[in-house]
Amino acid sequence: MATVAAPPRPKAYDETFFRPISLWLTTTDHKLIGIMYMFTGVAAFVVAGAFALVIRIQLTQPNLNVISAETYNQLVSAHGTTMIFFFVTIFMTGIANYMVPIMVGARDMAFPRLNLLGFWLIPMSIFVYYSGFFTGGALNAGWTGYAPLTELKYNPGTGVDLWVFSLAIWGLSGIMASTNFLTTIVALRAPGMTLTRLPLFVWAQISTSILLLIVGSPLVAVLVLLELDRQFGTHFFTTDGRPVLFQHLFWFFGHPEVYIMILPGFGMISEIIPVFSRKPIFGYSSMVAALFGIVFLSMAVWAHHMFTVGMNIYVETFFMVMTMLIAIPTGIKFFNWIATAWAGSIDFTLPMKFAFGFLATFLIGGITGVYLSSVPVDTQLHQSYYVVAHLHYVLFGGAVFTIFAGLYYWFPKITGRLLNEKLGEWNFWTLFIGFNGTFLVMHTLGLEGMPRRIATYPGGFGEEGWGTVNVIITISSFLLAFSVLLFLINVIWSNRHGPLAGDDPWEGNSLEWATTSPPPPYNFERVPPVRSFMPLRDLRESGEIAEEEPPARPS
Amino acid sequence: MRLLGLATVLVAAAMVALALPALADQGGSGISPFLPEADSPNGRNLWTLYNLISIPALIIFVGVEVALLIIIVRFRRSARPPGFVPPQWHGNHRVEVIWTVIPTVVIAIIGVLSFLELQRDFTKPTDAETQLDITITGYQFGWTYDYSDGVQVNSVANHPTAMVVPQGHLVRIRTQGRDVIHSWWVPYLMGKTDAVPGYDNYTWIKPEKTGDYRGECAELCGAGHSTMLILVKVVTPQEYQSWVQQEKAKAAATPSPSVKPSASPSPGSGARTASPSPSPSR
Repeated sequence: MATVAAPPRPKAYDETFFRPISLWLTTTDHKLIGIMYMFTGVAAFVVAGAFALVIRIQLTQPNLNVISAETYNQLVSAHGTTMIFFFVTIFMTGIANYMVPIMVGARDMAFPRLNLLGFWLIPMSIFVYYSGFFTGGALNAGWTGYAPLTELKYNPGTGVDLWVFSLAIWGLSGIMASTNFLTTIVALRAPGMTLTRLPLFVWAQISTSILLLIVGSPLVAVLVLLELDRQFGTHFFTTDGRPVLFQHLFWFFGHPEVYIMILPGFGMISEIIPVFSRKPIFGYSSMVAALFGIVFLSMAVWAHHMFTVGMNIYVETFFMVMTMLIAIPTGIKFFNWIATAWAGSIDFTLPMKFAFGFLATFLIGGITGVYLSSVPVDTQLHQSYYVVAHLHYVLFGGAVFTIFAGLYYWFPKITGRLLNEKLGEWNFWTLFIGFNGTFLVMHTLGLEGMPRRIATYPGGFGEEGWGTVNVIITISSFLLAFSVLLFLINVIWSNRHGPLAGDDPWEGNSLEWATTSPPPPYNFERVPPVRSFMPLRDLRESGEIAEEEPPARPS
Repeated sequence: MRLLGLATVLVAAAMVALALPALADQGGSGISPFLPEADSPNGRNLWTLYNLISIPALIIFVGVEVALLIIIVRFRRSARPPGFVPPQWHGNHRVEVIWTVIPTVVIAIIGVLSFLELQRDFTKPTDAETQLDITITGYQFGWTYDYSDGVQVNSVANHPTAMVVPQGHLVRIRTQGRDVIHSWWVPYLMGKTDAVPGYDNYTWIKPEKTGDYRGECAELCGAGHSTMLILVKVVTPQEYQSWVQQEKAKAAATPSPSVKPSASPSPGSGARTASPSPSPSR
């Protein structure tokens, strides 16, 4: 390290590093693996979104028959499975794969080859699931695959078996990634990067990894039991067995999975709001404590998905109370974000707009969650469109808005170029309006008694019927799809033609902004000293890094 | 950018305007913001509980959204003097304790109210209270209703046959599944109860008005899921008696190949527990 090379500039990086396809296939660089994860996630998002549009066309009016009920069930199952397992979780893993090592000041993940294996298991998992469509029909029992509907007697095709194997492979990959993240964060932190100085995004990744490590195995266990039923004639969950046991085991994974999807998003919001408010995060330690409160509580609430299966009322009360308790750490995080922005000097850049979109919409998902947690009220709302609205406010509001926020925030770091402002504005507003137009009225549909997962519906229970509201939903869903299209155009265009970002376009707080954009393969020429949880800001204030003028960006 | 902000406010206002007529007309159009005000005492208690939860929910919702709007309007950088450095708060234990304790109190109240409602309306009615027992069996795709009066009604997919019940009588309902899990739900009477193979679940209704009530199966049960419609017909007790006689005469005329008339529910445990049924399921 005697000679100090000039930091590689984006153009040279493009030519020497990004080009050869063989490099993409064999690289162990966490950044390239992260990009491949993110690319896989976005591709899954587009496919599952297209399924959603077909579903919406089918539901536009009562008694339509655009697709058959069987196809409808397969599309609903594929939409859920793809969005949950192959889009949100995978995209979050990707962005963390890219950012976590840089944020803790490491050169790569702790186990680079395991990282590569973990990634390549995902396309394999997707391939196994989707091959169901070409072998007589994919899973048709919803993403939860409740037995006995998934038992051999009612589902003789191979779709369920392929789903089982697909998720088992997915679980294996998740366990690899989680182990890797935890080891990296524990063992490879830069000098001075104590645990109390970790960026909150890294803390979120710690909690997510712990959660996935704990609940990944029960998922594989329940899938194995189901497969034994199907192939070896056991009776764990058959009509003669205990179908409710399937639900207990599945939701012990399934509910924490919600938090596996949104905790990294919480972490991104905790990074973005302080940067654009020019204030430190409000209550750093309570933010970390709240993350672990959520991790703990999320493993003790699973049966709130099962309040109508007929449990003892005292058991139901336990799960109700635990579910309501989750509102407290989530509320702490929410109020801390607001307090961080309060009285700040807020620059409403695109990442900040999406962060506020997240705050405005996730709030609704949180509040409807309290209604759903009340057992008596839940017997009316459960399995209705109210739940569909709630889960989309949580997952679209909580995960998709944060993913967009994170992408607009880190895209300049990843590619060296900013995303186009104008397209980004359109992206945000069409997404916000399309999202609320699609899902807000679903609450009221559910309150009126429209069950979810029905392939078509009679006119409704009242005189006017549900047709009008469903038309509003379908139109809004196409606005949503248009918004995603704008985003894709923006990414493709800005990747080549966007304005150059420079190393630190946002005046960030964390270490990733100390290196070049995009970072060199070894991440840092010299890891900067870390003296607080906002190392870069310290350096800026003490004048230790040259105040580089960020290139002017159109406002 | 200002214009777009204004546009959101307008959209929000339009949505509220859209919702207002729904406050007046209870249901039917698909945009009522309330639970159905059911015509059975237990169903109406759910409506009351929903409305009680709505009070803190609306206060928190409006409070937080207003706070966000204030941030957007007042604290944006363009509204600040150049070179303004905001106060560097790292936290404040007092306010953090406040916004931990307030939600705790709110959910404690909601939890207690919900638990009281669970004990009131979600326990199995005693034999003394019960005036009529109906066993509802879900199958792919339809429902059978076995009355303790000895009548059996089979309601097949897409063409629901009414489950006839007498007005003002407490009807104890036992749900069962024959193949996969179904869920019996008539929102304007009561919340749903799953029909799980091998388990007996109990609920009850005490319909107060005569008329037709519709519902659907609420648990994905296969390709015919959306065809599992439900029709409940509430009639006066006199009409009910004559309906029973009529059905019995019909059954006697045509020897039915179907299931034996149901026995009344097994004298089981008190609560709405998921005690596995003693008999092997079909």
